[in-house]
Amino acid sequence: MKRFTLFVSLLVALSVILSACAPATEAPAAEAPAEQPAAAPTAMPEPTEAPPPAPKVLKIANTANITTWDPVASFSTEAAYMANVYEQLLRINPPGSAEKYAPLLATSWKSNEDGTAWTFNLREGVIFHDGEPMNADAVVKSLDAARTSGGASFIWWMVDSIEAVDDLTVQFNLTSSAPIDLIASSLYGAWIVSPKALDAAAADENYWANGVEAGTGPYMIESYTPDQEIVFQKFENYWGGFTDKNYDTVLVQIVPEALTQQQMLEGGDVDLVTRVPAENYDSFRNNPDYTFLEEPSFFNYVGYFNTLRAPLDNVKVRQALSYAIPYDDIIKIGAKGLGTQSRGPVPAGVWPWSPDVPQYTYDLDKARELLKEAGHEGGGFSMRITYAAENDTEAAFVPLIKDSFAQIGVDATVEAIGFSQQWDEAKSDPANAQDMFIVLYWPTYSDAGSDNLWSLFYYTEKPFFNLSYWNNETYNTTLDEAIGSTVTDPATSQVKYVDAMKLLVDEAPGVFFFDTKAVFIIPNSIEGFQYNLNYPFVQYFFYQLSPAQ
Amino acid sequence: MTAIPITSSTENESTRTLRHVFSVIVRDPLSLISTIIIVLFVLIAIFANQIAPYPLEGAGKTNADNSLLSPSSEHLLGTDKLGRDMLSRIIVGARPALIVPIGVVFFAILIGTPLGALAGYKGGWIDEVIMRITDLFLAFPSLLLAMAITSAMGRGLDKAAIALVVSWWPWYTRIARGVAVSLRQRYFVEAAQAVGVSDAVIIFRHILPNTISPILVQATVDLGTVILAMGGLAFLGLGTQPPLPDWGLMVSEGRELILNQWWVATYAGLAIFIVVLAFNLLGDTLRDIFDPRQYK
Amino acid sequence: MRHIEFILRRLVTSIFVLLGVSVITFFIARVVPTDAAAQYIGPKARPEEIERVRIKLGLDKPLPVQYAIYMGELLHGDLGNSISTKRPITQELADRIPATMELLLVGMFIAVLLGVPIGVLSARWSGKLPDLFIRLVSIIGVSMPAFFLGLLLQIIFFRNLDLLPLAGRLDSDMRFVSPVTDITGFILLDSLLTQNWVALKDAFLHIILPAFTLAAYPIGLIARMTRAAMLEVLEQDYIRTARAYGIKDRIVIYLYALKNAISPTLTVIGLTFAFALTGTFFVEIIFNWPGLGLFTTRSLLNLDYPAIMGMTLLGATGYVLINLIVDVIQSWIDPRVSLH
Repeated sequence: MKRFTLFVSLLVALSVILSACAPATEAPAAEAPAEQPAAAPTAMPEPTEAPPPAPKVLKIANTANITTWDPVASFSTEAAYMANVYEQLLRINPPGSAEKYAPLLATSWKSNEDGTAWTFNLREGVIFHDGEPMNADAVVKSLDAARTSGGASFIWWMVDSIEAVDDLTVQFNLTSSAPIDLIASSLYGAWIVSPKALDAAAADENYWANGVEAGTGPYMIESYTPDQEIVFQKFENYWGGFTDKNYDTVLVQIVPEALTQQQMLEGGDVDLVTRVPAENYDSFRNNPDYTFLEEPSFFNYVGYFNTLRAPLDNVKVRQALSYAIPYDDIIKIGAKGLGTQSRGPVPAGVWPWSPDVPQYTYDLDKARELLKEAGHEGGGFSMRITYAAENDTEAAFVPLIKDSFAQIGVDATVEAIGFSQQWDEAKSDPANAQDMFIVLYWPTYSDAGSDNLWSLFYYTEKPFFNLSYWNNETYNTTLDEAIGSTVTDPATSQVKYVDAMKLLVDEAPGVFFFDTKAVFIIPNSIEGFQYNLNYPFVQYFFYQLSPAQ
Repeated sequence: MTAIPITSSTENESTRTLRHVFSVIVRDPLSLISTIIIVLFVLIAIFANQIAPYPLEGAGKTNADNSLLSPSSEHLLGTDKLGRDMLSRIIVGARPALIVPIGVVFFAILIGTPLGALAGYKGGWIDEVIMRITDLFLAFPSLLLAMAITSAMGRGLDKAAIALVVSWWPWYTRIARGVAVSLRQRYFVEAAQAVGVSDAVIIFRHILPNTISPILVQATVDLGTVILAMGGLAFLGLGTQPPLPDWGLMVSEGRELILNQWWVATYAGLAIFIVVLAFNLLGDTLRDIFDPRQYK
Repeated sequence: MRHIEFILRRLVTSIFVLLGVSVITFFIARVVPTDAAAQYIGPKARPEEIERVRIKLGLDKPLPVQYAIYMGELLHGDLGNSISTKRPITQELADRIPATMELLLVGMFIAVLLGVPIGVLSARWSGKLPDLFIRLVSIIGVSMPAFFLGLLLQIIFFRNLDLLPLAGRLDSDMRFVSPVTDITGFILLDSLLTQNWVALKDAFLHIILPAFTLAAYPIGLIARMTRAAMLEVLEQDYIRTARAYGIKDRIVIYLYALKNAISPTLTVIGLTFAFALTGTFFVEIIFNWPGLGLFTTRSLLNLDYPAIMGMTLLGATGYVLINLIVDVIQSWIDPRVSLH
């Protein structure tokens, strides 16, 4: 046994050596709490003395992983955290708010008449977490970086130049009319970052890797342990200030499993979670300790038909298949009833959604009739449907489509493949691509006209996101007109968009399954939560939240 | 000590070995039970469509109205998210669960054994080259290698199966080589060489038949391991993709439901466990009979 | 002399094996069915941007050149950056090694602690009822899918009995109640060194279920092999002689026989380490254990090729290293080993 001990100690030594190579990322994390050791929540406060109030800690379990801490490149789930650290010029308020926008780093803004030049006046006295002042140069530098090398750089495609007019004024010069206020409120590609940090990041590509940040937001990242936790502390110099209700510390644990999150919430390990298994919603829905919220969301499920391939090049066949989609069952199984059938590719609640856009019903007789008219009586053809293997919801509902198609004589095979793999397949060669391709889509910022409607179905020679390869002259020109008049004449723009959507639904180059709902389970111990449809990846803005009195 | 026949007259030997194996199995209660379990599952796999109460649902047909029903007389093991009868899913799932691992082991033997026999018989640089390649593959933890290959080829039952063959064949090469080396010097091989029988004939007539029993023992044990590995790959999302029935996938689908709809994951997990247990028990007995470790 | 020669020979072959491993790994990782550049930059990137990333990542160069570059960087300890987290792979791995090693070591400790005695007892009662029972138990260990056993244990010990925590390495409260100072990254060790008893107890409670889930397979394997080795030794002449001289059975078994059965058992323990390493993939997922397994599975699903490559290389290196160590130790215990 002695030799075994030797063997084990060798291994221990080896792993210690290996782990010693790791930079000491966690060092600051261990220090900070030591400064407030008397935070034992169980201790009864002495009535006579007034001890310093215990720091208020918010504990959250979140599924979102960090794909990058680089605020310029960021285009994924890490926004849930970064939106508490970085700020845009302005924020778009939830639909139905009195004001469309809330000013953040800009206090006021205006455009010229045709919406091709915009001026933003910046907030005075704002500093970044690293101590640098926030001014026009910082804004220009951040947004120039975002539009040339950012993850979401395309949102600025119409920007010709951004210039600092004076220390607190920035001007955008555009090549065509566009709602820069809306674009500047985008979750992605619009954060203002300290110029010092941008320079440092340019010199060192791993600058951000360990959770380094340099924003202006109310919270700072204190430490980041990959796959485990992120600790946020409030930024004492935040321009918005703090009241005694705000949380001092926010502890986020990264927990990918919905069931684990539920256990943690019920066991009191965390205050808030982001995901609970849909099958278990009922334990919260009727529970007086929680508020169960079902909200409309930014997301919807869309399926592309490969319109270059027979028989899907026939509009009647596409319509027939659209009638053969069991929409209600799909919502019931795929979303536990928490969804609404889509009206075209624009999710409900996002501009330019309209109740006037028609929907297909589930009508197999009609489907058979249309197939007959198209010369495919009784179906008799086969299709290959692909969906993202990562997406549990798709995995749950796609088999329903297969079974339903079988009833009209269409033999569908469904295939789960990697998300990026399915894009590659669709983008490479339409002749070999899948017949139907199911995606979860969302607009990058709150304009599903220039995003969903344009990206998904506007024809470009080399397909970008139009992976139905559909090419309809009328649709394209209508869309051009709608996009062009968004700023100058929103009413006309909306009308044009609705025309385009009606055409789209009628021509059916794709299937519009359902708009998802966002579910929030908020315990009564927390107040201030306000859902904002426009920032779907940010479940919680920590600054809004406070412990219930 | 050893059941390796000394002569090349394999006919009588193998009948005798079989009878011996049979008598041991009948006497050992654990192996008897495990043999019965294996036969039972093989029968279930063959007659899946006749046995399953809802064969279409077993194969993947959905029934949205029956989503997540708890076990009842109608659905003995309950239903899954898509309203499919779990008992039928597990019964129809027995097919891929048994057939694919058998195929994996079969192809691993098909590739590994001749290479090992060739290496052991020829020796020299051929041996060196073959065995160094084998070493390369054995340098990976086999499941890790299989996972990497599966993901590189792009998930799915077929890909997982290929990946497992790639990571499993070297084990058989080693065993076959061990046998071949021990036979190389035997008189009947030397006699055959002396009268000018070609190498290929010697390998096929004299060497390969003698590898059969140690290989079969190893194969029995490996079947259990491969079933576990297939289930594991499916559980991780790399193996079988829905809507095909797969036990590992069912456990993975049922994980989130384990608090309230425990039946989705539990019975499928039990099915894997029982089959693997049966193969391991049987393999253990066979190994005691043949003791193939001496060839490794 | 023979020792040193043997060790040197094994070292040299190990290096060649690892070189070959790197080629295989590189090939596997580079045929991933997706455009790494497109994946790096995200789903909505324009073609020009994808090209820019392609050049940045060196993916525009021919494969052999890419391999040469990769190996050159590898020699400097650089495994490239992860596609999905954009962090250096070396750092990603180093951050997670302590968690996985802690789990592995505790798991293996349990496995050896239970497996060896079970095997010895089983051999002692060979053919009798206790042997049958012990055999069954150890085979159950190797037949139980880790992903299923983990779930069962969670249901029993968390959901039904509420005795042990569900997942993770420490209670989230711990950083406020009694924060652990990071010294080695092994929470058990760190809290012991700093005499942080509260955290030690908590970390201990957290590791029980995952370590046991991980240990199930090795327990079975070690018990089986110990049993086989013991049986073999017990049949040998000197043991029979010892028995004939009337030396107590217990002494014969625990002293003479076990000592000689250690060598094959050690080989199995080495091998088992590799099995346990792959076992962590499942255990870490189920118990949300922030180690290499969780990272690897995610990288495989995301087709994060630098991460896949780094992890496969690390796994193979660890495996080769363990085998090397086992061989060397064995050549000490049993000089006959170095002869073949």
